Parts: sequence; structure tokens; C-alpha cells
Amino acid sequence: MLDDPLSLTFAALADPTRRALLALLSQGEATVNELAAPFDMRLPSISKHLKVLERAGLVEQSRHSQWRPRRLQAAPLAQAAGWLEHYRPFWEDSFDRMANYLDELNVTEKEKSHGRKA
Amino acid sequence: MVAKPDLQSSGQSVVIERVVKVPRALAFEVWTSPRHLARWWGPRDEQGRDFSMASCEMDFRPGGSWRICIRSPGGDDYWQGGQYREITPPDRLVFTFAWERAEEDFPLTLVEVDFLQEGPDATRVRFRQSGLPPSERDGHAIGWAECLDRLAEFLVADQAPEARS
Repeated sequence: MLDDPLSLTFAALADPTRRALLALLSQGEATVNELAAPFDMRLPSISKHLKVLERAGLVEQSRHSQWRPRRLQAAPLAQAAGWLEHYRPFWEDSFDRMANYLDELNVTEKEKSHGRKA
Repeated sequence: MVAKPDLQSSGQSVVIERVVKVPRALAFEVWTSPRHLARWWGPRDEQGRDFSMASCEMDFRPGGSWRICIRSPGGDDYWQGGQYREITPPDRLVFTFAWERAEEDFPLTLVEVDFLQEGPDATRVRFRQSGLPPSERDGHAIGWAECLDRLAEFLVADQAPEARS
């Protein structure tokens, strides 16, 4: 189950360095050297993070050479976001029902405190 | 899916905000016991009929588990469960949430609910659900969604080129 695409995406996104790398790549293609520049980190560490992102399909290396720039792949992210969106109707309905229930509770409370007056 | 105007989403999490006309203590309380949850927790079917709550166990304390079965009007059961991570009445409630299904393992999500004072007798309920990686299943979690704003913008732009032109 750890190899399913969604789990790989979530796992890849769990690390702050990798999120920062994705944010950099969202501005356009970049080489490993360019990506490493803002970080206080050695190139091999950056490469390791990029490998995790590549395995999750979030980053693509154009051709297999080191100086080729990396490119962001949005499809797995869209899938992760789309999957989460499935929850929205559940909560939208629940919140509607909660609002009704709270109204009911509120009326009961008010009747309790003012009931004697009538 | 068409977004309603009171909703916003970073693309990496589901965000819902609602103002309810009760004080914060009461808005928080309806999340704290099966008796309350049975009255509102769960969706409606296409005809607008409420799902019912077939089972609800909750150990309402940090680290405690919860497990709920909701039943569709047609009689289908859906199990879900998780663990309470943070309970700070009447400010904030954090718990994990996952569907249970035999045929596939659903990824774990994190639900964060903040209760904000909105005038004397109203509360703004700020709800957020985001994904959690598998490694967080038993550990301490931090939602990863916060850091992805720029990325989300990119994603939206990438998904809907026709909407922009």
C-alpha cells in the first residue's frame, strides 16, 4: 500500500525541503545546481530529495543527464487534491445539518431559561 | 465541481467556514459526544435524506480513538475512524480521519477545526482537512498543506487554462 501513487505523493510532500523544491520548480525549470543554491545543503542531499520527488512522479528530469533541468509535474498533485475534494460533500452536508441542530439546541436553551415567564 | 462562494480551497486541502449562531462553548460541544454527533454527522443522499448513525464509539481525549458507522437511507454502511490529536475547548479540535474499506486502504487525513468568536452569540467554525503521509499514521502530525500556496496557484493555473483565457 506504500507504493500506491497517492501515498507516494503524500510521503513526498511530507518534507519541508521537498515542498520548497517544488515551490521553486513551480516558477519554472531549474537544474540541480540552481535548485541547491537557496539551501544550506550539499548537492547529494538535494539530489536525494529530488529522487523522492521523481519517484512520486512530481518532478521530471528532461533527458537523463545531470545538467538537464528538472520540471514540475502537476498531475499527481491534482490527483491528491481531487481525492481530498471527495470529502467536501460529506462535510458540506454535515455542516448544514449541524447548523439546524444548533438552532434547535438554542431554542431549547432559551425556552429553558425563559419558559416560566409565559 | 462548482465551488460555493463561502468556500475556499488551497487545492491541497478542503476548507470550509461557517458562522453558527451559538456561543463557542456550544459550537464546540456538539463535536464531543455520540449523542450530539448522531444528530448532524454525515451526508445526505441525492434526495436530501439524512444518513443515520449506526454506531459511534469515541474516546474523547488526546490520543483516544473514534470510530463511526454511518448508514445511508438505502441501508449501506460506511465505517470511518481516527484518533484525537488535540482537544482545546472551546478553541480548537484536531483529529485524524480515514475511511475503512476492505478492498482499498484509504489514506489518512487530518481534520483541524477552529472555533472563533464572531460577535457576542455567534461562532465562526473554520474547518480544514488535509492529507497525511503514511509515515504519520501513528506519529505526531503537521498538515503539509500550509506551505503549498504558491504551488496551489500553479496547479489551478495548470488545470484550468481555458478558464483564464
